[in-house]
Amino acid sequence: MTRPVALALCLVAPVFIQSVSAQSEDRALTVIANNCGGCHGSAKMSGLSVETREALLAGGSRGPAIVPGKASESLLYKAVVRDGELKMPPGNKVLAAVDVAAVREWINAGATFGSTKPKASEPTWWSLRKPVKPAVRSIDGILGKAKPAADRRVLIRRASYDLTGLPPAPEEIEAFVNDKDPKAWSKVVDRLLASPRYGERWGRKWLDVARYADTGGYETDVLFPNSWRYRDYVIRSFNSDKPYDVFVKEQVAADEIWPDNLDLEGIYDLPESKRQSLERRLGTGLYTLAAMPVEYTLFGDQYRAEWQAEAAVVTANAFLGMTFQCARCHDHKFDPIAQKDFYRLGAFFAGSEDREIPIVSQMRIFEYTRYQTKQVAVDELRKKYAALKPGDKDGKETLLRQIGEAYVKTPLMYDKANLLVHTEPVPDTFILPRGDSMKKGEKVTPGIPAIFGKGAELNEPADGYFIPRRRKVLAEWLASRDNPLTARVMVNRIWQGHFDEGIVASSNDFGRQGEKPSNQELLDFLATEFMDKGWSVKTMHRLIMNSDAYLAQTKPHRLDAEEIRDSILSVAGALNTKMFGPPVVSPLAKDEREAMRDLSMWPVSGDATEHDRRSVYLFIKRAFRLPLLDTFDAPATDESCPRRESSTVAPQALALMNSEWASDQAVRFAKRLSASKDLIGDAWSLALGRQPEAAERAKAQEYLTRNSPERLCLLIFNMSEFLYVN
Amino acid sequence: MSINFSRRQFLASGLGFPALAAAAVDNPFASKAPQFPATAKNVIFLFMHGGPSHLETFDPKPILNTLHGQHVPPSFGSVQLQFSKFEQSTVLGVKRQFKKYGQSGIEVSDVFPHVAQRADDLAIIRSMYHDGFTHTAALNWLNNGWPRLGRPSIGSWLVYGLGSESENLPAFVAMLDGGIKSGPSVYSSGFLPAMYQGTQFREGPQPILNLTPPRGMKEADQREMLDNLRWFNARHAAAHPDESALEARLNSYELAFRMQTAAPELADLSKETEATRKLYGLDQAGTQSFGGKCLMARRLVERGVRFVQLWSGGTSGEGDWDGHKECDKNIVDMASRVDKPIAGLLADLKSRGLLDSTLVVWAGEFGRTPVCDGGMNGGGGPDGRDHNPYGFSIWMAGGGVKGGKVIGSTDEIGLRAVDDPTHVHDLHASMLHLMGIDHKKLTYPFEGRDFRLTDVAGKIDLVAKLKK
Repeated sequence: MTRPVALALCLVAPVFIQSVSAQSEDRALTVIANNCGGCHGSAKMSGLSVETREALLAGGSRGPAIVPGKASESLLYKAVVRDGELKMPPGNKVLAAVDVAAVREWINAGATFGSTKPKASEPTWWSLRKPVKPAVRSIDGILGKAKPAADRRVLIRRASYDLTGLPPAPEEIEAFVNDKDPKAWSKVVDRLLASPRYGERWGRKWLDVARYADTGGYETDVLFPNSWRYRDYVIRSFNSDKPYDVFVKEQVAADEIWPDNLDLEGIYDLPESKRQSLERRLGTGLYTLAAMPVEYTLFGDQYRAEWQAEAAVVTANAFLGMTFQCARCHDHKFDPIAQKDFYRLGAFFAGSEDREIPIVSQMRIFEYTRYQTKQVAVDELRKKYAALKPGDKDGKETLLRQIGEAYVKTPLMYDKANLLVHTEPVPDTFILPRGDSMKKGEKVTPGIPAIFGKGAELNEPADGYFIPRRRKVLAEWLASRDNPLTARVMVNRIWQGHFDEGIVASSNDFGRQGEKPSNQELLDFLATEFMDKGWSVKTMHRLIMNSDAYLAQTKPHRLDAEEIRDSILSVAGALNTKMFGPPVVSPLAKDEREAMRDLSMWPVSGDATEHDRRSVYLFIKRAFRLPLLDTFDAPATDESCPRRESSTVAPQALALMNSEWASDQAVRFAKRLSASKDLIGDAWSLALGRQPEAAERAKAQEYLTRNSPERLCLLIFNMSEFLYVN
Repeated sequence: MSINFSRRQFLASGLGFPALAAAAVDNPFASKAPQFPATAKNVIFLFMHGGPSHLETFDPKPILNTLHGQHVPPSFGSVQLQFSKFEQSTVLGVKRQFKKYGQSGIEVSDVFPHVAQRADDLAIIRSMYHDGFTHTAALNWLNNGWPRLGRPSIGSWLVYGLGSESENLPAFVAMLDGGIKSGPSVYSSGFLPAMYQGTQFREGPQPILNLTPPRGMKEADQREMLDNLRWFNARHAAAHPDESALEARLNSYELAFRMQTAAPELADLSKETEATRKLYGLDQAGTQSFGGKCLMARRLVERGVRFVQLWSGGTSGEGDWDGHKECDKNIVDMASRVDKPIAGLLADLKSRGLLDSTLVVWAGEFGRTPVCDGGMNGGGGPDGRDHNPYGFSIWMAGGGVKGGKVIGSTDEIGLRAVDDPTHVHDLHASMLHLMGIDHKKLTYPFEGRDFRLTDVAGKIDLVAKLKK
C-alpha cells in the first residue's frame, strides 16, 4: 500500500489489529456483497465469486482474491483501495473509506465467514429484485402533497399533447373549462384515450424504442417495403389497449405462442382466426427493420451473426431496459453481464429469420402469377427499346407508348409482410471474440442472462424434430410477473411520457451505469399496479393523469419534432387524419433535394392531400433524414432511442421562419381565419388555447396595421408558447 | 476542465452545456478552453470519397511494374477484399512517375504537381490501416472511429469538446460533392445531442437551408416580425424564469437572423482578389468546384468555424475516387480536380498565418490493392484496383505538424502497413491531441458506458513524430 493512501485512511478509521467481531465481519461481508456481488456472485465475472471463503481463496482469472491475514497482499483489498492496476468497483464508484477499512480489517483478521454470509441469494442490484408493492398505494401518497392544480386551460392542453400529440380544439377547451361535473377531468382523459390519435402518439414513442425506419441504412439503404405494417400494428396495439405482456409476447414470438398461424404461407383464404393470428404475428416485424450493413456482410455467416446480435441488443434495450451492447465484444465492465450471456440471448433467435411472406389467399397469388405473362410482354418491349438505334425518335416514341400501355395491364403485386419465420436446421451460435464473426469461440445454447438466476428453462432434445419454441421461452420469461424489469421499464416509459423524465432517467438502462430511480417506491407501486391491472397501458395513463402530481404545474417542455409539424398542420386546419398504410413521401424544398443521393429514392407521394398526414406516417429513410424533423431532434434510427433530446439551435428558427413549408401553412392558417370576426382572438384560441390579453391584442393589432394576417400566423408558429407545453 | 458530466446534469440544462444557458445564451457553442495547450484550433478535413490509390499518389512502389501480370508471392499471404479474390488476382503496375520535391525530397507522383510543391508542409503517413473493406465501414471508420452507424463523427466530438469561435456560423460545416455512400453518418452527431452535428453547406450564395426569408418579406419586414416575436417570447419566458431553454430560444432567433447575413457574406467569393481566385483554380472549369470549396474552407476557418469537412467525389455527382475499373485514369481525373485547389489552400493559409493553427488532413476511406480488381461481382476490371484498408496513405499539414516528412511504410508491394502502423484510432487520438484534447478524457455517457471517439484504443505516439 502506498503511504498517502494509508495516511488518508488513518484519518478516518484507525487501524485495528485485534481480532474482528462478528459485527465487523458482517459489515465487511455486506460491503462485499453489495459492491462486488452483482458481477462476482452467480455471474462469476472473470471467474471470481465472492460468495464463499473458498471461492475467494480460489479467486478468478487474476488469481486468489484474498490472502487471509494480509490485506495488503490481497487482490480484493488492493482493488477496492484502488492501489494498482485493478480498480474496483469499476468506473467512478469508489468505496467509502470506512467500507475500505472494514474490508481491510476483516481480511487482516483472517477473512472468516463465521455465521454470516454474503447475501447472495437475493440479487444485490435494485432492478434485479422483483418490485414489491409498497405499503402506501397511491402516487400522491408516495410523493406527498403536490402543488395546486394548474389552470384548466393549461391542463387540457397538457393532456391533449400528452395523449394525442395535438393541441386541443377551442370547443374542447371551453367545454372542459365550463364543465361543472366533478368528473370533468377524468372525462377529458377518457375521451383523449379513446381518440385514434392516441395510438399515433404513443405508437410513435414505441417506434423510437423499436428503432423503426423504412430503409436499412448504410451504403445500400435498401427499402423495407413492408415495415409500415409493423408501424400500423403498434398504433393499433396502443389504441386497443392491448395488454403489454401480450404486446411483448407477440413481438418476440407470436408465431411460436399462437402456432395456429404457422401455415399462413400459401393458404386458400384468410378466415377471421387467421387474420387475428396474422395481426399478432406482425409484431415480429420488430426484428425485420434494423439498420443492417448488408454490404458489409456479404461473406459467410456474418450477416446471420450481425442480425442475431442486433436482435439481442434490441430485445435487451426495449423490453429489459438493459444495455447489452458492450457484452457483444467482451464481458460487460459495469453490469454483471458476461459475453456469454449476450450470445446466449442472441441464440434464442437462431433458427429464426426475417422473411417476406404473402398475406393474401393462395387464389390471389395465382391470379398474380397467372398474369405475369403480361410482365413478360413488358420486358420484351423494354429489350426492344434498349436495342433502338440512337436518333430513332419515332421508334422511341412508339415503344414508350407501347411499354406504358403494356405496363398498366400488368397485375399489381399482392400484399406481403416481413415477419419472423423458422429455418431448419438451426444454426449453431458461437461467442465471437471482439464481436468478430470470422473468429468463432465457444458454442453456446439459448439462455437467460445469469444475473437473472435460473430463469427460464429451455430443454431441447439433442436431435429429432426441431420444435420451434426458443423465442416462446424468451417471450414468456420477458412477459412474466417474475421478471423484475419488464413492468418497471414500461411504466417508467409511460411516466417519462407524462413528466418528460422517467423515474429512472436512463429509460433504456436500468443497469449500474444507468441512473438509480429517483423514487423506487413509486416505480414499484406503478409496476405492481400495472401487472395487477392486466398490464393495461391506458389504466396507467388514468392512474398517473388523475394524480395531484400530474395536475400540479410542471415545467414547460418543447414539443417534439412530430408534434410541431402536426400542430402546425392542425392549427392551419390542414391536418389529414387518415390512418395507416404505406409511408407518405412528402415533397422536399429545392435546397433540401440537393442532399439526396438520387431523387428516385425519394418517390414523392402523388396525392398532395397525403402530404398533410400525421408525421408518424411519413417515410423514414435512414440515409436521408427529413430536415424539418431532423432539426427538431427526431431520433436517429440506428439504435433504440429511449428519450428525445430537446435542443435549441438557430436552424430551428430558420426552418420555422423561412421554410416554404412554414409559409404555406401560415397562408392556410390565415385562410382559415379569413371569415373570422375576431381574427386575433380566434388565432390565439386555435394556436394557444386561450384569448389574448389586452396588451397582446394591442401588439398584434398594431402589427397587423403594417403586415398581412399570413405574417401574423407565421409569427404565431414561432412563438415559444406555441412550441412549448406546460 | 471537465468535459465529462453526467447525463442527468446534461438533461437538466436542456441545452448541452450546463454553463452556457446562463452565461452564453447568444451562442450555444461558446468556445471552451482545451484540456492542455493546443497547436491546432481548427481542422480542415479534405476527404477523397471512394478511396484514392496510395500507389498512384504518395507511396511509390516501383516493384509493381516488375511484378505486373504475376500473382503476388505467397509470402505476402492473403487479405479479405470486397469484390475480388486476392490470390486469383495479378499485380497491376503503376503508370505514374514519382519525383522528389522540396528540401525534404518527399516523393509525390505526377498526379499532384501543385500539392507536390508544398511537400515541405506535408507529413505523409504511409502506414494507415483499419479493417473495413467496404465503403460504408471504411467511411465510418475514418470519420466516426467505428465501422457501424450510430457513433458521432470526429467533427461532432470536437465541437462538443471545444465549442466554436464563430458567433454567426455553425461550428461544424460539411461541404459535399454528391452523396456519401454511408449516408449522413459521416457528419452526424450519433448519440451526441443533435446540435453537434455537421451543417451541410451547399455551393452557391445560399449555403444553409432556409436562409432566405419567405417570398416578399424584406429584411425590414423580418426585423419587425422578429421584434414582435421577441416581445411575445420574452413575456412567455418571463413567466417561466427557471426555464433557460426559453431564453436560449429567444436568442436562437437572433443568431438565425445574423446567419442570414453572415452565411451569404461568407459564400460571396467575389470580394476575393483575382490572384486568390486563381490560386485556388477558380478560373478553370476543372478546378472551379473544389477550388470554391477550398476557398470557402479558408473563409470558414478565418471566421472561427471549428471543423470543416470537405468532400471530393460522391455517389450522384461527377464520380469519385473508387478506381475499380481504370484506376490510373480515375486517379488522374480526380486528382486534376483537387490538386491546384488543395495546393492553393495550403499556400493561402500559410501566407495569412492561418496554417499554424489550422490542421489540414487529406484522406480517403482506404487505399487500393497492388493487384488488379478481378471483379467477381463488383464491376472491376484488369486495370482497376480493389479496396485496400490494410495499408494506405494520408497526409497532414499545419496545426503544429512539421512538414517535409514521411511516417511509416507499407510492405514492398504496398499491401499492408508494416513500419509504424497507424490505426485510425491512433490518427484520431493524435488529431484530438493537436487540438488540446486527451482522447481518453473526451467522453459521453450512452447506453451504459462512457463512449470515446477512440473506443478503447488509440495511441498518440504519432504526435511526437508529427511535431518533430
